[in-house]
Amino acid sequence: MAVEPGLNDIETSAVKQATGGGRTLAATVPRLILEARRVAATVIHGLHGRRRAGPGENFWQYRRFSSGEPAARVDWRRSARDDHLYVREQEWEASHTVWIWPDRSPSMAFASALLPDSKLERALIVGFALAEVLVQGGERVGIPGLMRPTANRNIIEKMAEAILHDREERASLPPSFVPSPLAEIVMLSDLWAPIGDVHKTIAQLSAAGTHGHVVQIVDPAEETFPYSGRIEFVEPEGAGAITAGRAETWRSDYVARVARHRADIRAETDRLGWTFAVHRTDRPASELLLVLHSRMGAGPAGTGINRWHALGQTGGAA
Amino acid sequence: MIGGLPLGFAQPLVLLGLLSLPVLWWLLRLIPPRPRRISFPPTRMLFDIVPKEETPARTPWWLTLLRLTLAGLVIIAAAGPLWNPPVATSSRAAPLAILIDDGWAAAAAWDARIRTADELIARAEADNRGVALVPLSETGRDISMQTPGAARVRLKQIKPKPHTLERGEALAPLGRFLAAAPDIELVWLSDGVDMGRGQEFIEALSRTIGSRPITVVEGGIAQPHALAAADNAAGALSVKVLRAQTGGSDTGIVHALDLKGLPLGDAPFAFKSDERETEAVLDLPVEIRNDVARLEIVSERSAGAVQLLDKRWRRRTVGVISGSSSDTAQPLLGSTFYLGRALNPFADVRLAEGAAPADAVARFLDQNLPMLILADVGNVAGEAHDRLTKWIDGGGVLVRFAGPRLAATDDDLVPVKLRRGGRILGGSLSWEQPQQLAGFARESPFNGMAVPNDVTVNRQVLAEPDSVLTERTWATLADGTPLVTAQRRGKGVIVLFHVTADTRWSDLPLSGAFVEMLKRLVSLAGSTIATETNTPGRREAVPATRVLDGFGAFEPPPATARPVPAGFTGRASADHPPGFYGPPEGLIAVNTLAPADRMAPLDVSALNARREVYRLGEPQDLRGPIFLGALLLLLADAMVVFWLAGGLVALGRRRRAVTASIAAAMLAACLLASPHAQAQALSPADDFAMKSSVQTKLAYVITGDAEVDAISKAGLQGLTLFLAQRTALEAGEPVGVDPARDELAFFPLIYWPVVPGAPKPPQIALTRIDAYMKQGGSILFDTRDAVDAPPGPGGEMRAPGMMTLRTILSALDIPELEPLPRDHVLTKTFFLLKDFPGRFSNGQLWVEATPADSEEEPSRPARAGDGVSSILITSNDLAGAWALRPDGQPMLPLMPGEARQREFAFRAGVNIVMYALTGNYKADQVHIPALLERLGQ
Repeated sequence: MAVEPGLNDIETSAVKQATGGGRTLAATVPRLILEARRVAATVIHGLHGRRRAGPGENFWQYRRFSSGEPAARVDWRRSARDDHLYVREQEWEASHTVWIWPDRSPSMAFASALLPDSKLERALIVGFALAEVLVQGGERVGIPGLMRPTANRNIIEKMAEAILHDREERASLPPSFVPSPLAEIVMLSDLWAPIGDVHKTIAQLSAAGTHGHVVQIVDPAEETFPYSGRIEFVEPEGAGAITAGRAETWRSDYVARVARHRADIRAETDRLGWTFAVHRTDRPASELLLVLHSRMGAGPAGTGINRWHALGQTGGAA
Repeated sequence: MIGGLPLGFAQPLVLLGLLSLPVLWWLLRLIPPRPRRISFPPTRMLFDIVPKEETPARTPWWLTLLRLTLAGLVIIAAAGPLWNPPVATSSRAAPLAILIDDGWAAAAAWDARIRTADELIARAEADNRGVALVPLSETGRDISMQTPGAARVRLKQIKPKPHTLERGEALAPLGRFLAAAPDIELVWLSDGVDMGRGQEFIEALSRTIGSRPITVVEGGIAQPHALAAADNAAGALSVKVLRAQTGGSDTGIVHALDLKGLPLGDAPFAFKSDERETEAVLDLPVEIRNDVARLEIVSERSAGAVQLLDKRWRRRTVGVISGSSSDTAQPLLGSTFYLGRALNPFADVRLAEGAAPADAVARFLDQNLPMLILADVGNVAGEAHDRLTKWIDGGGVLVRFAGPRLAATDDDLVPVKLRRGGRILGGSLSWEQPQQLAGFARESPFNGMAVPNDVTVNRQVLAEPDSVLTERTWATLADGTPLVTAQRRGKGVIVLFHVTADTRWSDLPLSGAFVEMLKRLVSLAGSTIATETNTPGRREAVPATRVLDGFGAFEPPPATARPVPAGFTGRASADHPPGFYGPPEGLIAVNTLAPADRMAPLDVSALNARREVYRLGEPQDLRGPIFLGALLLLLADAMVVFWLAGGLVALGRRRRAVTASIAAAMLAACLLASPHAQAQALSPADDFAMKSSVQTKLAYVITGDAEVDAISKAGLQGLTLFLAQRTALEAGEPVGVDPARDELAFFPLIYWPVVPGAPKPPQIALTRIDAYMKQGGSILFDTRDAVDAPPGPGGEMRAPGMMTLRTILSALDIPELEPLPRDHVLTKTFFLLKDFPGRFSNGQLWVEATPADSEEEPSRPARAGDGVSSILITSNDLAGAWALRPDGQPMLPLMPGEARQREFAFRAGVNIVMYALTGNYKADQVHIPALLERLGQ
């Protein structure tokens, strides 16, 4: 598909706005610390310590041995100094990789009348804000096919540069790659691609056991179909056009069709343990960010490192 | 010609294209409008929706109508529509015979007829066809074929005839002509009026022309009106207005004129839509009515629209009824004899002989007489009395004479209440003498008559003195008793002579005043053409005096006009054109239409002819406006399509580019639309004037030497700065002027550095300089050569700059100059100065010579001429001393170079500028102490 000439401009301005917007938005939410239920065994080490106990090389603290723990954890050198048994804890230096995929395809440039934000802008704002929050929390963030995961402090600038310098074709769905099983994927897209493609992409990405969140960002007009009269609808990505003689008669069918499309996606995500959310651009962006924050921060498994670590800390303090 | 409209088409066959409109309609209905294009990301979802059975959105009906109108307009315009198309002929080869109705009925719209004929001739000329002009009134001459050019000349000579057209007489020559020229096309420019024998003519014409094509041109112009049957009845003057065609209401005004052409009155008329005749009634006082000699329809120029009135409309018939039965025994003493003799010169007298007064009154009323005289009739009884009353109310004039019978009866047909019995003056039982006539009331018709002194009244009937007696009295006797009384009743009047109509009671019937009085009374009466009873008619012929032409204007009678018998009442003809006949005192009017004539429309259906109407205006090509309308519709259609396709939204997306281009286009349109826009910008001269006049500025003359000009500019800038520092004058930036180009009047002082060897300024510059100096400006010439001057007295005069200045000044009107005197006001205007140094200090400042001290006036501290010296000449290079560099340092060194010299150079400049600005104000300042002292302060 040829990139529409005006699209680059649209994207540039959207990126510029989203850079500031994302930062502002990120400042409004607390640090997002990923639920890390599988992080314990991660092999990827972060560059910076996480200021808490966890798998790592550097000493963090000694804590009292609690009964029931494997005896191999006892640090006998320290325990020999007094009557108690101590466990030596290292600083948790592992970091989590989060792949954020903001859909930048031409269809995302759509914005219905009277709405200031296009879908693209919304996706970028939320993506940037999420990245900022994650990096502050010590995670590594990357864009599939565009930016390797990094925990750079200026993550927003890095992402913006990567996006601006990418002059390739913009695909609607992330490219096929194999993320680490412990990584997380956040897909911010309108998901108007054929349901087969969506299924295929999700299946591929989750093949290694990667966890993911699928967010459908839609314009209100795409949900309510407020059209009437004789209208030729053109797919902005070149998939064709269709002329509705009287668009108002198509509304109910369209709404049903969109519901079915979403049900299909939701069925797939549910099957894989992913989450699926729908976000409308007439709602505030913080809403979506909060949803993602809550979903990523506290997973359903409930056995995350945080909790474990919190228990351990309590135990250490005791 | 379409449906009565003067509309024609150059290519009528193109109109068949209108048949394609239904097909176009069907196609337009079928093709839906272009849909709005909307970029919609979830379009893939729509792909899966099975399209419903939906009625296709059709083009809105009004859009279809718009487009059909557009197509129709284009087709109509392509057919070449013409407003007022010229009259067409059916063939283009056959010679043309143009029959022209040239009677009075054609005169009203003669120009339209001539123009139509002219167009026909022009067309024949274009087609190389012969033309025969056949004026239907000219039956004498044979018809011949002419070239179109000759026919056009002939056409100009045809004038409408004032009489009614006898078309039938033209048939014979036409028949002869047609027999000689079998292949001919006829066009009849008809007036559409049938005065009686039209049908006969049509049938004869139909036989004469046989199968030749004929076109009848008729209508399209205002139809002619005519006047007939003027009737000066007792109440009013009425005239019938005729027209040929019914239909349509038609109004107008009938104008009444006297014999000299002065207007007397107007009467409107209005046709109802189904009327062919109506009446106009002139409600004028009878005296004025009797002066009417001519009635005409306003703005209708034809002889038929004129009615001439002669004395027959003015001469009244008077019925005389006598109450005495013995009159016949002594006819020469009877009142009827006196009355008849008195009335005969100006009225027809009808006597009631041997009849009872009531019968006589009834008979005369039947005869519709305007005036009755009852001589000593005591009473009119019964039905006749009622009729008489009604007749008086309707305008009749009843004149009664007193007598024994009247004095003995009660009667209400008298103006004043009478006493029973008579009064005898001068009799044996009376003290009083017979009375003389004393005078006539001012408001009576007798006003202005000479009071006769030969009238004596012996007996009279007396009126009861009451309040109305005085105003009803028209003539009084010397003792104040009334002789004639009158009363207006309705439109009529009753007049009572308080004496008899014979000589028994008075001498009045014997005097000339009696005739005059009766004459004036008769003129009160309306004039009706009384039903003829016995007019033997004098069979003498009278010649024409003034006749009407076809347009209804008077002209001298033509040679062909023949005399008419006196009493001629028929309609006018070619031999007897309408007009006045006979001597001025006894004019006989011959009118175009007889009283019984009526107009009828001419029915030409028997001719089987093509019909055309006259064209009032020039043919106009309607293609332009129609194409323009189509273009506007096309624009509207484009806008509609644009709008239907979501044009404004699309426009919004490309807002910047489109807005810019629209703005550019509008700007261009504005510029095109208003060529004055640029004219409103100031012209350079105005700009210069504006800049120079808002602020006082010093000026220097641009010499063309760049170095000198730069020094001048810098010098004046320095002086301006010094002025601003030391004085109240904050002048603007100095200006360089070119006397040949710039207006100098804005500057109080112009500094003119003289460059040695400079050419003499052009004449226009010299003229300006001269004018500037005369208007009070000052020019400071600076030769800048004091250092170059040869030593010795007068050496300054031989310096090169001074020589050049001489050539410049030689062409100017320069006053006498003198070296600056010590006491000149220039030395005191701001600073007290002795000399005026510049870069050099040895130069001399020359000014206009001031008048020398007179003996009676003691020398004053400051001397000044009456004004400012218009010329100052120095050689000290003042500007060089004033000139400052931008950093404030002096630009040029001084000679001899004392520091004070520059300060004094500036001071000299200040004094010169102040002198130029304030003039001799400073010189007058010396009087202030004296003035203050005189004021007592």
